[in-house]
Amino acid sequence: MTSKSRPSTISVYLYIPNIIGYIRVLLNCYAFAICFTNKELFSVLYFISFVCDALDGWFARKFNQVSTFGAVLDMVTDRISTACLLVILSQVYRLSFVFLSLLALDIASHWLQMYSTFLVGKSNHKDVKDSTSWLFKLYYGNRMFMGYCCVACEVLYITLFLLAKDSEKMMDVLLGTAKQSIVYSALLAVLLFGWATKQLVNVIQMKTAADLCVLYDINKKHNA
Amino acid sequence: MFLTFYVHPVSTFGAVLDMVTDRISTACLLVILSQVYRPSFVFLSLLALDIGSHWFQMYSTFLVGKSNHKDVKDSTSWLFRLYYGNRMFMGYCCVACELLYIILFLLAKESEKMTDVLMDAAKQSIIYSALLAFLLFGWATKQLVNVIQMKTAADLCVLYDLNKKHNK
Repeated sequence: MTSKSRPSTISVYLYIPNIIGYIRVLLNCYAFAICFTNKELFSVLYFISFVCDALDGWFARKFNQVSTFGAVLDMVTDRISTACLLVILSQVYRLSFVFLSLLALDIASHWLQMYSTFLVGKSNHKDVKDSTSWLFKLYYGNRMFMGYCCVACEVLYITLFLLAKDSEKMMDVLLGTAKQSIVYSALLAVLLFGWATKQLVNVIQMKTAADLCVLYDINKKHNA
Repeated sequence: MFLTFYVHPVSTFGAVLDMVTDRISTACLLVILSQVYRPSFVFLSLLALDIGSHWFQMYSTFLVGKSNHKDVKDSTSWLFRLYYGNRMFMGYCCVACELLYIILFLLAKESEKMTDVLMDAAKQSIIYSALLAFLLFGWATKQLVNVIQMKTAADLCVLYDLNKKHNK
């Protein structure tokens, strides 16, 4: 073993993109603590956190401070903030089962995907090149389209939260807004399409990842 | 979930399915608890801790190649060794956690404050007090282990990068 000294772990914890990550966590904590008393502030803070999510990757590459910890922190913060958003939506709309299902799909698809990525050694679940599904190729091959779907999903949830009044039915709220003007209808359609695509990709991703887990075992047995 | 302590899953898919089902069912339980009790922020935080700690732990386990996050042998924390070294104690903590959540749900009536519900139940008899204390201790231990687990796993992620750079 060489005696060259290693920098301590604190140096990585203090990387700029990781500090942005901590700010994201704090923003989310505060946002969800006040979400029912100040909906507008909640939406602004959530949106800022979402922007930071895009920024910290850029900062990491720019300052050469890419870290595994940062990537995991990013993924975990994403999962938790989406989960909490779905939880508060399940509180303001009756039909909580819809949001519980979306929460389950989000957790399950990302978990399986991460697990299977480790098993087959791909560096990043967004680098899938060999899938035969046209939707897969479209979604992951085109960062703009993927970005649109992710953003549409979050914006739809935030919009639903802002529009909610006293335990209404979600369908009424959506239809009521759409009827107000053709611009609102078009906007909602754009959001719904992006959201639907993302959920569909989640389902396909989950099936593909499960298949990879099974194939991993079969190959191991075959090579044993 | 109870079977996982006694039956080792024979497939990778089975193990992942197991873990995912655990996470989702705990999440949904915390969600419905956040609906029947105000302040929901408590349950949102527990949900965040559950997801965060297990996610970091799984990731770091893959990085260092341990077969199972329950096989941690080298941690210096006495609580860690107690929790993971002793399957009975770990089982008690996990079961106590889920039971506490279920009982909280069963005891709830129309958006009460959680502390009121717990105090009332405790006051009814010494047996209820003892039972609740028993469950709360197991739950608290599990949450504490979650926090330590998350920190340990984060350190492993950082060390992984440092070692990679060092060995170049």
